[in-house]
Amino acid sequence: MTNFEEDISVYNFVSILGECFQNKASVNLVKHYPTGRMLAVKRFHLDKIWDNISIVQQEITLTKQLQHPNIITYYTSFVHGPEVFAVSPLQAFGSCKSLLDSHFNEGLPELAIILIFKDIIEAVNYLHKSGFIHRAIRASHILISASGKASLSGLHYACPLVINGRWQRAVHSFPLSTQPNLNWLSPELLEQNLKGYNEKSDIYSLGILCCELANGREPFADVDSTLMLVEKVRGCIPGLLDCTTLPSKCDDRECQGDCDIEISLSRRGFSQYLHEFCYMCLEREAKDRPSAAELLTHPVFTLVNKGISLPELLKPVLPLSDKVSPNKEMCHLDHVLHMSEMDMPSCDWDFPIS
Amino acid sequence: MNKNMCNISENVEENTEEAEMANRIFRVESDEELRPLSDVENPVLWMNENADLDDDLSFPNISNFFHRVDSSQILYETKKRRLKMIGKYVMGDLLGEGSYGKVKEMLDSENLCRRAVKILKRRKLRRIPNGEQNVESLQGMLESTSEKKFPLLQAHGYFTQLIDGLEYLHSKRIIHKDIKPGNLLLTLEGDLKISDLGVAETIDLFAKDDTCVQGQGSPAFQPPEIANGVESFPGFKVDVWSSGVTLYNITTGKYPFEGDNIYRLFESIGKGEFAVPSEIEEPLRSLLLGMLEKDPYSRFSLQQIRQHAWFMRKPPKTSKEVPIPPLQGDSLHRMTVLPYLEEHYYDFTNMEDDCSTHYITEKELNDQKKESAEHNNGKALVRQNSKRKWKKISCLTMRSFPGCKQS
Repeated sequence: MTNFEEDISVYNFVSILGECFQNKASVNLVKHYPTGRMLAVKRFHLDKIWDNISIVQQEITLTKQLQHPNIITYYTSFVHGPEVFAVSPLQAFGSCKSLLDSHFNEGLPELAIILIFKDIIEAVNYLHKSGFIHRAIRASHILISASGKASLSGLHYACPLVINGRWQRAVHSFPLSTQPNLNWLSPELLEQNLKGYNEKSDIYSLGILCCELANGREPFADVDSTLMLVEKVRGCIPGLLDCTTLPSKCDDRECQGDCDIEISLSRRGFSQYLHEFCYMCLEREAKDRPSAAELLTHPVFTLVNKGISLPELLKPVLPLSDKVSPNKEMCHLDHVLHMSEMDMPSCDWDFPIS
Repeated sequence: MNKNMCNISENVEENTEEAEMANRIFRVESDEELRPLSDVENPVLWMNENADLDDDLSFPNISNFFHRVDSSQILYETKKRRLKMIGKYVMGDLLGEGSYGKVKEMLDSENLCRRAVKILKRRKLRRIPNGEQNVESLQGMLESTSEKKFPLLQAHGYFTQLIDGLEYLHSKRIIHKDIKPGNLLLTLEGDLKISDLGVAETIDLFAKDDTCVQGQGSPAFQPPEIANGVESFPGFKVDVWSSGVTLYNITTGKYPFEGDNIYRLFESIGKGEFAVPSEIEEPLRSLLLGMLEKDPYSRFSLQQIRQHAWFMRKPPKTSKEVPIPPLQGDSLHRMTVLPYLEEHYYDFTNMEDDCSTHYITEKELNDQKKESAEHNNGKALVRQNSKRKWKKISCLTMRSFPGCKQS
């Protein structure tokens, strides 16, 4: 394995790929001079996140402790000036959230969802067996590499199940930093009562993730968070939008106008397996949800043939090429910051228009 | 008569439990929600002003004088739960009341974090010592048990946390002065939090030592130097003494010093003589004796407590831990804000079986009170919880709420 130096001078900052950590940190496309490899570097400006420094610290240590092909790795991390840098392999397709926003506004194709889920559930299974609850499983925390391998990131929200050397049956913590993830969180976590929650809370988030990948947006996206809370607690179960769940076209005529999107949604159909899979994850009672290991044996995964690869399914989206030529003007860090506002969504400029 | 009715309603307020009607739960707790109706069917007979008083008194039948109203004829109107927002917070139910004011539950509507709020009333700020009732404290847990004490292991866990907290306070030159089980709160995780710094004193930064002149706080937890009215005394040792009384209390279920009134109590404390029950075995016994030492200067310091054998070694597990008792009949301590939010978001008035009973009679209320009292005594709590399941109604159209399917 290549050794990645803890020194800023060997990395050439090419551009900003996106933002993370509630837009307080940036993900940069970086070229490693000695090897010529393209990398993704997370850059935290500590003055901006002074109240969350321990969270960054926790994310870096935890990510380094975990070793799984489907969990993001940090090659190295270091401090330079007021900033912390975390170097990780480039995930050329970006996050699932950026894919949804840029190309798949109405959701990913079913097979792509299943392929992504296979990888992510492996990661979740590993995480649970290691004694952690992720607590922030959502499309923006799922990154896809050029070869189509999905990996889980966003470990700064994770919490340990093992406290004082004891495996806890339930945990009760409700950190304020989980605010951006509220829509993905399970009812029992949101309820904050004496019952607490456990790793099954992540399974619920997987169900919401399934809806998000299939529908293009997560359920409860436009709803007051208090209403979302009441709905979840009362047992409302969101689902995949397709011909079986949406009203048929005849009904649509009555409510024309705001139903433009739904017509195309109501034509498509997801397989019964995927519906079932999603429904299982979203059971109101944690004990009724399957564990990550049980989910891996779900028949939904028999739907994908060996020959199909994720990059194939994601066409026309192309991965970020390794051969991006570093733009000399962009090398200045100040410049990069200015430019970030302009080419925020993704690096479309690099793609040949066919 | 009108005044009389008010009295009734006040009595009702004091100890009402949940009144449950057709899947909805009404908490009857304040006059905002429960008002006696003025138009009771049988109007009250007023004494005729012109009538001769003597004549009236000689009436054989007293029912003409005091009109008897059957409890089933007194009607209360249940008021709708109105969602109340203060800033970004949604108000919930009352958790407790004290001399300062009330403590209510709140929900932060932005990050959905549960909070408690202490509402202080300006005119109540003239503090009455020892008036504080407890919200979710060790006191409440103790009272929920039959023996009024914790198993040693559990007591050890709380006591070590108490000493940690006290050490921090003292490092900040703060003397709490009112350490008692009622001021020690527990989080859902079981972490102990020292609360109520209402009578705490901060030692001046340039003070030579921790000398105090004023003693406040709860009488039963006061050290002999305060009970005897000594002019000045070392402040940190006050907290050590009260922690000692607290430890004595949570391990034995008794108080080391007792008295019928505050004078007797202070007399007894002032003598500093007390007995440790025989069931308390050695390391704990000497710790109690060291912390409840009459002379503040030879009383244990926090450091000595830390190095004590009982503190350093966890006692073996002897019996089951005392669980956190149910809050207003709910063993899970669920959000009390939820019913308000439900009422706000869903229009219940269309439902036939729901909420059609807007009136509830005194008799029904009494019956429900009786029933819920029985609930609280036994294991019936579980049943109550299962009854409290939310009724599933879809109140949102697909259009306004994409991606939400009712199960």
